[in-house]
Amino acid sequence: MSTPSLEAARQTSRNIAANIAKIMRGQTAPTRQLLAAFAAGGHVLLEDFPGTGKTTLAKALAKSIDARFKRVQFTPDLLPSDILGVSIFNQREQEFKFHEGPVFTDILLADEINRASPRTQSALLEAMGEGQVSVEGDRRHLSEFFFVIATQNPVEFRGTYPLPEAQMDRFAMQFTLGYVPPEEEVAILTAQEHNHPIEELQTVATLADVQALRSAVEAVRISAELKRYVVDLVAATRTAPGVQLGASPRASLALMKTAQALALFDGLDFVTPEQIQALAVPVVAHRLVLEPQARFSGTTARGVVLDILKQLRVPA
Amino acid sequence: MNTEPVPPTGRATPPGLLLATLVFWGWQSGWLWTGVAMGVILEAARFLPLRWELTQADFQRIWNFCFLLALAMGIYVFSTNDPGGGPAGALQASARKVSVSGLDTSMTLLRQLPVIWFLFVAAQFFSAGQAIPLAAISWIARRRQQQGTGMEPEKHINVAYPYFMLCLYSAGIHTNDGTHLYFYGLCGLLTWALWPLRARKAAIWVWCVLLATALTLGYYGVHGIGQLEQFANNYNSQLLARLLQPQTSAEVSRTSIGKIGRLKLSNRILIRLEPLNGSPVPTYLREASYRKYYSQIWQTAGKSDEFQTVVNDVGQENDWSLLPASTNLATVQIANYLTGWSKESSSAQGLLPLPSGTARLTDLPAFELKKNPLGAVLAAGPGLVIYQAHFGNGATMDEAPDTNVDLLVASNEVSAVDQVIAEMHVASATDREKMLAVQKFFASKFTYTLNIKNEMKAYTNSTPLGNFLLHQRSGYCEYFATATVLLLREMHIPARYAVGYLVHERTGSQRYVVRERDAHAWCLVWNSATKKWEDFDTTPAGMDNPAPSFTRPFQDAWSWLRFQFAKFWWSQGQFRKYALWLLIPVLGLSLYQILFRRKRKGRSPATASAKLVPVDWPGLDSEFYRLETRLAARGVPRLPGESLTHWLERVLVDPALTDLRQPLRELLRLHYQHRFDPQGLSPADRERLAREVKACLDKLNQ
Repeated sequence: MSTPSLEAARQTSRNIAANIAKIMRGQTAPTRQLLAAFAAGGHVLLEDFPGTGKTTLAKALAKSIDARFKRVQFTPDLLPSDILGVSIFNQREQEFKFHEGPVFTDILLADEINRASPRTQSALLEAMGEGQVSVEGDRRHLSEFFFVIATQNPVEFRGTYPLPEAQMDRFAMQFTLGYVPPEEEVAILTAQEHNHPIEELQTVATLADVQALRSAVEAVRISAELKRYVVDLVAATRTAPGVQLGASPRASLALMKTAQALALFDGLDFVTPEQIQALAVPVVAHRLVLEPQARFSGTTARGVVLDILKQLRVPA
Repeated sequence: MNTEPVPPTGRATPPGLLLATLVFWGWQSGWLWTGVAMGVILEAARFLPLRWELTQADFQRIWNFCFLLALAMGIYVFSTNDPGGGPAGALQASARKVSVSGLDTSMTLLRQLPVIWFLFVAAQFFSAGQAIPLAAISWIARRRQQQGTGMEPEKHINVAYPYFMLCLYSAGIHTNDGTHLYFYGLCGLLTWALWPLRARKAAIWVWCVLLATALTLGYYGVHGIGQLEQFANNYNSQLLARLLQPQTSAEVSRTSIGKIGRLKLSNRILIRLEPLNGSPVPTYLREASYRKYYSQIWQTAGKSDEFQTVVNDVGQENDWSLLPASTNLATVQIANYLTGWSKESSSAQGLLPLPSGTARLTDLPAFELKKNPLGAVLAAGPGLVIYQAHFGNGATMDEAPDTNVDLLVASNEVSAVDQVIAEMHVASATDREKMLAVQKFFASKFTYTLNIKNEMKAYTNSTPLGNFLLHQRSGYCEYFATATVLLLREMHIPARYAVGYLVHERTGSQRYVVRERDAHAWCLVWNSATKKWEDFDTTPAGMDNPAPSFTRPFQDAWSWLRFQFAKFWWSQGQFRKYALWLLIPVLGLSLYQILFRRKRKGRSPATASAKLVPVDWPGLDSEFYRLETRLAARGVPRLPGESLTHWLERVLVDPALTDLRQPLRELLRLHYQHRFDPQGLSPADRERLAREVKACLDKLNQ
């Protein structure tokens, strides 16, 4: 029943997933989520402890696709121009020439994004939200595949600036990798006895494949009832006890699109409630601002979303 | 709306408590069956599944209704208890049985409070939320709600315990039966009510001891207050009686002669006076006069001084002639309150303060008017009377002196009186000279004071009046008037003791006010030449006028408001009759709003989440639901937030279903496509779904 384009897109995603799995052992679920966000055109924020493979995952995705890849290591003294680019006076031609920053790429790895000052973090805002940057009054368009994978250490760590709510909202998804089981960790050690396997990673998809994947995701059908379920889910966070700021309609949109992508990976042509439930926490939780009192009493955004999932009647 | 409402302030009462309390209230106040019925209705809410979804607006309407009901009840009770205008005489009579005075009026109202507020409490008990939004009854909360962002949680209160307290309070209103039944009932109910609220961390015996202590203290506290009151009454009953009862009795005047301490009278305005047509202002307004003095009490002569009814003028219902055929009269308009209560005519009554020589009273809306031979005029009528008194210098209403009584000096006062007469050296003088001598004697050798010192105690052999005449030589009007009467009588001049008010305070151009502290006593002296009784006042000048306190303007303004209200109230008997009828349509409208509001749903509490189920989504006709019901019956019901896939995997853990695993997963996929694919199933697949579900069901039923 599936149309050929959906089938091809499914194959593309499987190839990428298999390629990443070579490097990222025991991280199938995060890889699925990362790919869902990538296929839906949303940016991803990875939050975890140092050394759990955030950067490796991002690099593995970049290497699997034949696309431009740039990486910015965020530090407290990083300036907006370090990301966007800067005009430099060319003495020979007697004019300013714009040197593009790392943001002009297909896949951008913003490593340890919460180590930079809010001013620099904000420089990414327009780029992520609108796919364009304004530098010195000129609007410059970014690549149509522009995709940001940001990593950050948990906010309580030293030397970090928490991301503002507006920027958190621009990430379609936030999830963690977590520590892998001991046997997987042994396998990681074995794989890296001689050299890092990422060096040998082959490209498995072109930009055209990615283009096809994204249009295939848009072709995945979703019923009005499930759209309503998405909206109810997101709306429930706005009135949940202990929540100061609930999730925005942008969250509803992201949840729908990523669910479509996940349905595609699952071999479906339409979305089922399972995809929405699977993505509710990574898509919605990071956008909630909890009341301080609730936070101190142990409530977490993840817990709030899980509670809503339990209480809200799921279409069946 | 918040998904989890804030828990209400206040808690629900333990089962049965309100029933017991209402029965107790009914028993104590004589409405036993009403109490039983109300209690049963309230407690039934615990067992009946019947609930209504009442909004804040509903509660507000019910609150308003109960409030109006209380108001109507108040108007009814007041207008039936007051003379001069009840809705009907029959109601008046029955209402009077339970209450004979203003005090009882409010008691009747307080006793009915549990009935009045029953509807409101019942509304809470039968509402889905089991609590009342604070904004329904509090204007402040409503304002805050309107001004707020709409994000604040709604505050709710539970009125069960407040209602419990109200019932206890109402039950205690009347109990004066001399037994301690109310107290024992109160103890039992309070223990019951407080038991679920006790602090769990303390031992039970601590709680019991504390409760017993509190109840004992309460008992002896109330008992003690009663004893203290009795003690105070005994200690100084005359002074207290005098201060607590502003109205003057025509038969007896208990003077404060011999009492120690400062005589305090308030600044309350009692009488308002306005001379009409340029008439002179009377100096004295007399309420009554007396003949006999013995041991500090002035009295009338008894039978011969009883009141005779005055008949009103022919054709003039409100005009009364006291002295026929008097002419050339001055007129003054007097307004005064009637503060007493007449049992015969069931209305307020009081002595009228009248100028000397009053011959006629006009526009006096009295029901009954009586006068006695000593010039006292007793009126029964509304609580406030405004009338014109016509008076002149001619004869007064007082009867000519009776030499047996009006020359009588009590034997125990004679020696002191004689000593004073000897001191004055007036043996051969005329009556007029004697009077002047008395006046001069008091003016030169006595001082005015309201503060009676303790020194009098030193002279235990003499009467208080003797003390005043011989030793103390300072006092207030009662001393001077009594002494003067006795002195004159001893000198064979007939005299009487008069009480009333002194008019001296002017407000506005031609208006006068008389305050409680303007109360005065003076003498009436028989002028044998003119055959007239004349006012004779020997109280020295310098009645100490304390500097008016800064609160006096406020007191006066309040008094003025009270006067205006009384004027309105007592003169508008007709309106009062209709006030109740005016309220009835308002009550009816309010009741209509409560009962016939559209869109209210009665429902049972269990279906609270049912309204979240939309019924118009496609694919709800899927046969898979029969399968789900069948499988759930095996002991694995699906949770509300659990997706079908997740649930099916839980179901399929059962080894008995191994054969069905693959077909069931395939069926779920078809069902999902039927439900969630906007394109739906092809007719063939639809038929397959129905068929295979049936096959699976058959297998399961084997």
